[in-house]
Parts: sequence; C-alpha cells; structure tokens
Amino acid sequence: MATRRTFLKLAGAAGLAAPSLASAQGAGRVVVVGGGFGGAIAARTLKQLDPKLSVTLVEPNPIYTACPFSNSVLANLREISQQQFRYDGIKGAGVTVAETSATAVDAAARTVTLADGTKLSWDRLVLSPGIDFDWGAIPGYDEAAAQKMPHAWKAGAQTVLLRQQLQDMKDGGLVVMSSPPNPFRCPPGPYERASLIAYWLSIWKPKSKLLLLDSKDTFSKQRLFQNGWDQLYPGMIEWVPLSKGGKVTSVDPATLTLVTEFGSHKADVANVIPPQKAGVIAAKAGVADRTGWCPVEPVAFESTLQRGIHVLGDAAIMGAMPKSAFAANAQAKVCAAAIVELLAGRAPQQPLLINTCYSLLAADYGISIAGVYRPDKGLLAEVPGAGGVSALSAVGGLRGQEALYASSWFRTVTAETFG
Amino acid sequence: MGRLLLSVLALALLSGGPAQAADAPPGASSCTGCHAPMKVTDSVIPRIAGRKVADIVTFMREYRSGAWPSSVMGRIAKGFDDQQTEAIAAWFGAQPE
Repeated sequence: MATRRTFLKLAGAAGLAAPSLASAQGAGRVVVVGGGFGGAIAARTLKQLDPKLSVTLVEPNPIYTACPFSNSVLANLREISQQQFRYDGIKGAGVTVAETSATAVDAAARTVTLADGTKLSWDRLVLSPGIDFDWGAIPGYDEAAAQKMPHAWKAGAQTVLLRQQLQDMKDGGLVVMSSPPNPFRCPPGPYERASLIAYWLSIWKPKSKLLLLDSKDTFSKQRLFQNGWDQLYPGMIEWVPLSKGGKVTSVDPATLTLVTEFGSHKADVANVIPPQKAGVIAAKAGVADRTGWCPVEPVAFESTLQRGIHVLGDAAIMGAMPKSAFAANAQAKVCAAAIVELLAGRAPQQPLLINTCYSLLAADYGISIAGVYRPDKGLLAEVPGAGGVSALSAVGGLRGQEALYASSWFRTVTAETFG
Repeated sequence: MGRLLLSVLALALLSGGPAQAADAPPGASSCTGCHAPMKVTDSVIPRIAGRKVADIVTFMREYRSGAWPSSVMGRIAKGFDDQQTEAIAAWFGAQPE
C-alpha cells in the first residue's frame, strides 16, 4: 500500500518537488533518557525509522547489566558477564550516546540538563528510567543495609553479592526473601528467584530452607509456581502471604532480622526486595504522580502530566501491561514509530502490543504468561480472550520447551537492542 | 510530471518492495522481540521475516484454534483477528529473509 511516506520517498527518488514536506519530515531532535530494554531500543528504532532524526541516548553506565536471567546468575547457571551489554551497536546505528546522567528536565523550555551541565534541546523527550527504590518504606532498610541484605533488584554488583552470600552460607541455613507490594518491576521475578535459589540449594545445601515473606496475598503465575515447588523442592520453600503476616515492617541489617506484623525472622542470607517507584528523573521532570509512577496515554505513551515527554517501561503506568523487559521493548518500538509520525505532523496508529514473560523454576523448567494489549478508555487493556499462563498440566516436554524459549527470547531481544 | 509520478507509484504497488518498519501494522513490532529481524545464534524460535504470507496466516489461525499445539503462540494468536493477522503476515512476508 502506498502510504503518504512512501509517496514522499518516491517523489524524492524521482526528483519530484516536495521540498518543504521532505525537509519537515527529516527534522527533529529526540533525547532518550535511560539505556535499558525500553530506552535503548527506542533510540535505535527512532534512528532506523527516520535516519534524519537527531537521537541522543543519555545513559551513565558504559555497560548495561540485564535483569532478566539474573536469577540464573544467583543459581550459578550463568555468569554476570552473560548479562552485560555495551552500547557499541547502538552507536553504530547512528545514535549519539551521552555517557552521563540526566539531572533536570525543563518541559516548558524543552531541554534536559546533564550531570556535566550541558543542556540538550529536544522536540520529543523519551524517559525510560526504570525503577528506583522507595528507601525508607521499610524502616532499617537503606542503601547501607542493602550491602548486608542485598535487594539484587537492579542486576550487577548486588546480584554478585547475593550469590556470594548464598555460596558462603552453611548447609542447613535459612534464606529469607521479602517480596514487595504491587506494582513493582517483574511481577513473577521474586518467585522465579525463590525457585532458582531452591534449585541451587537442593543441589549444594539441601538441608537449607527458603522463607518467602510477601506483602501480597496473590502473585503472578501462582499456581504454576506453587505446583512446581511441591514437585521440584518439596518442603524447601515456605511462602507467607500478607494475610498470614508476610509483610515486612522493619529490618535489622546488623543481625539479618526481618520483622513482620506477626513476628521476626533471623536469616542466614536475607534478600529484601523493597517497594519501588519510577526512576528519580521522572519525578524531577514532573511526569510522576503521587503514586510515584508515570501516567501516560496509551497510543504514543506521552505523559498526561507534561506535553512532549514520553515515558516507557517499568516507570510508566501502562494499564494492564506488566512491568517487564518484553513489555518495555514492545512499548519502545510503538513509541518510536508514534514519535516519527508526530514529528511529521501525522496521527500515530492505534497500536497493539504483546507481552510474554518467561520464568524458570529450574534450569530446564520454564513457565510463561502472555497478553495482548490495546488502548481502551485511556489505558492499555488486555484484548479479551487472549493471553494467560502456561498449561497447568505439562505434556510433551512443555516445561523444557518453555525454558528453551526463555533463553531464545533473551538472546533475541538483546541482539535486537544491543547487537 | 503527473504521469511520471503515477507510474512511479504504480511500480511501487506492483513490486511491493521491502516494507518499511514505520509502515508496520499494529502488533508487528512486538513480534520481533522473539522473532528477530536478524539471525540469532542459539535461538530455537523460528524467524518469520520473508516467510510465505499464506503460511504465516495459516499458522496463526491454527494456533488460535488450537489445531496446531503451542506453548505461547495460541495465547498470543487469540489477540489478533483475521484482518490484523493478515496485515502482520503481509508485512513479515515482505521483510528480507
């Protein structure tokens, strides 16, 4: 089908006159803040869709450490280096990478200020800052405490620290995890982590136990996880829901104690996954609301609080779409296409988005949840009748197949983003 | 000039040409998270770029009905009607293999 864009390209190729439209099409400066699964592919896709755009990716870390599959690092199934990616591919695609952090955003002047004082002007700003922790939400849990009781919810040094603590633990020790209230990054993540720690413990320290204290009464893929725990690690994982006193009300890092409404638990290894909010630049830019997260419209993911600023991934309130790397990737590609249209003065299309999240319960045991999403009443809503979780009864090696699909997805999405 | 333009457009319509990513129909950009546009080593997920359009449509219909068993594709295919599925299939079919 010959769209207007095709027409313009052909007109240009044939030497036909459409100069004002053609030059208007190529204009535009987009700044993307945050080089994770949302921001990195947003920057790359923008440049791919319209090579004339000036695209700058602001990201302080020269090496990105991916969260998906970082639970496998804890279980010694992977090395942390297999989680790490550089930005060379993105630079090679024509994106300017500013290796620093964004410190301020002026929505009215359409500028972003970098840590070195530089101001970048933008026609459209994309914020994909991921999460930050709500330090202070659990009394006793601060950045210093995280060195004793790692969160490991941003992959990297924290992941390696938690793995080291597990390896140093005596057989027969007690691992205590705490899972945060909704919403938070990677809803099935704490339960995959409990599974893979149990997988590793069952091989190397089989007398040990894992206590999972939860601020919720239900969780993602719950029956699949609990059935798997009974089958693979009988008696090893104890899940304590909110209604049975699972909510952690304070911690003491000196004694590795987690206090709940119903009592206290002294851990040999403690993994506290604290409550979360959008990455700090979101609040500075005025795109986070009182919940700490960022409301956006469901077509181009433009902030409903500040015009011209788009928010992607974990930081955004995406309706029914969960906070996952797959979702951030899907949103970023939709957002990039929408921005190209908006800069050219056209209306973006009504999108459809997919999410698929795999979790591992063992090296060769995978489960998934999927959904298809569309704009509905100002939010992304699930397309009825689609999506759902893996079959409860696995036939024909289904769990092994899904474990293979999980690693294949990771290879694909990281190749698409960073390759 | 008008005639030249028309012939250029007609040529484009006839030849199809490689689809531009910006013209991707709704849903298509999500697919590449798993079905990579490039060759990926050690992936068991099949590439669909450059496949026969009719084959992609058939697979999606059979995933949707359950006639062809699947892990996740049945759950995803149910989110797309015939028209949306055909548009996505046509777009992937026009991508370089």
